[in-house]
Amino acid sequence: MSAHIRPVSPVFVVLVCLAFCSRLSSMKAASICTNGQTGCHFISLANLFDRVIQHSARMHGISNDLHSEFELYFLPSKNQIGRVSHNCHTSTILTPNGKENAQRIAREELTEVILKLLVAWRDPLWHFHQDMAQHHEFNNFSSNKSLEMSDMVHELRKGVQKVVEKMQMLGIISPSIGNLGTPEALLASDSAEWRLMNDYDLLYCFRRDSNKIQHYLKILKCRIVPEHGC
Amino acid sequence: MTPTAESLEWEQCSTCCIQKLERRLQHTGELLRRHGSIHAKDEVKEATLEPHFTDCISRDLETFRCWWSPGSLHNLSTLGALKVFYLKKDSPSSEWKECPEYIHENRECFFDSNHTSVWIPYCVQLRGQNITYFNEDDCFTVENIVRPDPPVSLNWTLLKISPSGLSYDVLANWEPPPSADVGVGWMRIEYEIQYRERNATNWKALEKQPHTKQTIYGLQIGKEYEVHIRSRMQAFVKFGEFSDSIFIEVTEIPNKHGLVPFTLVVIFGIVGVLIVILLIVISWQQRLMMILLPPVPVPKIKGIDSEMLKKGKLGELNFLLNGGVLDGLQPYAKELYHEESWVEFIEMDKENEEGGDKVDNCNSDTQKLLGLPHRNINGLSVISHPDDDSGQANCYDTDLPEHDTQMLIASMLPSQPENHQASLDAPASETGERPLIQTQIEGPQTWVNTDLYAQVSNVMPSGGVVLSPGQQPKIQENTTGSEREAQKGGKKSEDCGDNEGIEDWKKSEPQFQLLVVVPEGSGSTTKNNAQQTSTPPNSPVPGPGYQTIQPQPMETKPAAMTDGSQPTYILPESPQSQLFTPVADYTVVQELDMHHSLLLNPPPSHSPSLCQPQHPLKAPMPVGYITPDLLGNLVP
Repeated sequence: MSAHIRPVSPVFVVLVCLAFCSRLSSMKAASICTNGQTGCHFISLANLFDRVIQHSARMHGISNDLHSEFELYFLPSKNQIGRVSHNCHTSTILTPNGKENAQRIAREELTEVILKLLVAWRDPLWHFHQDMAQHHEFNNFSSNKSLEMSDMVHELRKGVQKVVEKMQMLGIISPSIGNLGTPEALLASDSAEWRLMNDYDLLYCFRRDSNKIQHYLKILKCRIVPEHGC
Repeated sequence: MTPTAESLEWEQCSTCCIQKLERRLQHTGELLRRHGSIHAKDEVKEATLEPHFTDCISRDLETFRCWWSPGSLHNLSTLGALKVFYLKKDSPSSEWKECPEYIHENRECFFDSNHTSVWIPYCVQLRGQNITYFNEDDCFTVENIVRPDPPVSLNWTLLKISPSGLSYDVLANWEPPPSADVGVGWMRIEYEIQYRERNATNWKALEKQPHTKQTIYGLQIGKEYEVHIRSRMQAFVKFGEFSDSIFIEVTEIPNKHGLVPFTLVVIFGIVGVLIVILLIVISWQQRLMMILLPPVPVPKIKGIDSEMLKKGKLGELNFLLNGGVLDGLQPYAKELYHEESWVEFIEMDKENEEGGDKVDNCNSDTQKLLGLPHRNINGLSVISHPDDDSGQANCYDTDLPEHDTQMLIASMLPSQPENHQASLDAPASETGERPLIQTQIEGPQTWVNTDLYAQVSNVMPSGGVVLSPGQQPKIQENTTGSEREAQKGGKKSEDCGDNEGIEDWKKSEPQFQLLVVVPEGSGSTTKNNAQQTSTPPNSPVPGPGYQTIQPQPMETKPAAMTDGSQPTYILPESPQSQLFTPVADYTVVQELDMHHSLLLNPPPSHSPSLCQPQHPLKAPMPVGYITPDLLGNLVP
């Protein structure tokens, strides 16, 4: 066996090296591209936008499913939006409530809204997942979806930040967008209002906000890169 | 809350039924609430005759409309009697406002884009003159009431027809609804196509997908299909209206007929040919194997049939090796050894009275070896006479050597005939000149299945050779042996002094002894191997069951003997003294003579004259044995 492994192992090592080297080269190409060269299109902005839009659509789908499942358990006596005081913690964020509004505001503002929303939902969803895992009356399907939802919020935020960086690099938007990873932004998001919400309201609010994010991203894409799909 | 039918059931049931009904009703109500449908309220409101909203729908996520119904109170059905107020909960201090746009013909309130805010809860209510009809279920958000318009421009193209010509695939394509602003990306719509046969009742729904074209598989030729499509927002549950139906029908295409049966014929033909080839290969397997892989010739020994060996017929094998004494087999044996010149066969007489194969062999061989002239010896080929003898007067009877040789051979072959017949004596008496070497053989001697060889177990000091017995010969002694001997001695003037070996077979015990005695001083050139020596009956006996023949020049030879060598005839012992000792199973062949015959004792080299002088034995010879160093004694 060792005799067979010996000639194979160097070949294997070479293959692995090739794979890694290609990756490194591509990454190097990425780093080269960030120097501001305009001819660098290894991943186009439209492609990036498509990816984040698909991601947000999936996130919204999951939130919708979870919300529907919660209705089976909670059976609200009223309509799903019956209560007047549906006080979502993200209500403080000013969001455009229509197509014209979303088209009218500046790109940077729209992008900032998206990022704010994404940042605002990171912690609440994580805690929601913890609650779901503890309460065993929920089946594994819901628990997996909650975990997936919290992960997707995290991933989507990173993706949108990448898109923003690319847009800033391409000069589409001004770099005046505050980095939401800064401690100030984090402090702002940590308003702890969401701790007062129950799970059902939290799901309802997130379902609404994920729909907002989805629409805003689509609007933003078609405003910035209106080639195809718009 | 409960419809009329439900109320009837409720009255008729017992307590458990009541509980079930209650649960069912609760669930139904909750389901209705969950989907935000206000349709169930119609039934409720009709029962209570309240003015209510029938539906609120948005088509493009930018505007929405609400329709109301005055209920059963007809006095409110007049235009303007009811007013619509809405509440937009975008701030805690929001207020009820009246419908921005009325469409009284439809009892519809239209909210344009300026008054429409997505993701903000709305509540609508009807107000009469003094009464406000409000239901909390009439609150909603715009994105939840979106029902897109159906797609437009639904069309289809034929993709392909199956090779059998029975089914086909169709690609349907359409345009998104114009009201939905898909281009800007404001709405993301997914579509659902449904189709059915012309006269069927159930629609078949394909999978929802967001693209503007979809393939319908498995439609059958000759049938007409009806297709329509509807749309909805992704990740939402409310579908829009169905589009107008289109009809799809594909008739048969006749020019495709020829291909299908042709291909079928080709396929079946190939399969049939393969089957035929397979059958041929199976049936002719052996022949094919012979042709392709011819058998390799195995080594064979001439004259020995492997089949015979397998069957274990050792007797026949012995017979064959003996030379095929039987008449029937003799030519076979001769054919076997046809090309081998050194093989000469004993041709035995047919007059073997015994009848048995082995018995005949033994009988004749033994008798001839012992010089019993009962047989008509013909063509003794194994032991051939020297040609020289024929020219002169018989130094020795031609028969005698044959006898002798045959007897000797018989002695060599332990599988000897059982009986030595008394008839042996008869020819001896006839040919008085013969040096009769008459063994004790008289009477039936039955040879029982003796082996091919006899081993010399011991050599007597007197010269006799003791052979270990192979089988059990029955030997009866010849009482007249001594007489014959005397006769022989008298008559044998011309005798060339055969050195004849006499073999004794004693039958008293199942022991077979072979005594071959070399006559002393007998320089007779016997071309035959037979040297018969006879021992006087009073020869010392090595042991019981033993008969030795000692070489003694005791016989009176005629004066005609040239060299004075006297053939000595050693007669076997009298039957009284029968000594039995275990005799070996085989004799040792000394050498081949010039005629390529097996010699127990090599003949002394002498002049080619027939009548060879008797060679006196210079020294006494060991019984039955002429060692090579003793050869010189025999040579004249």
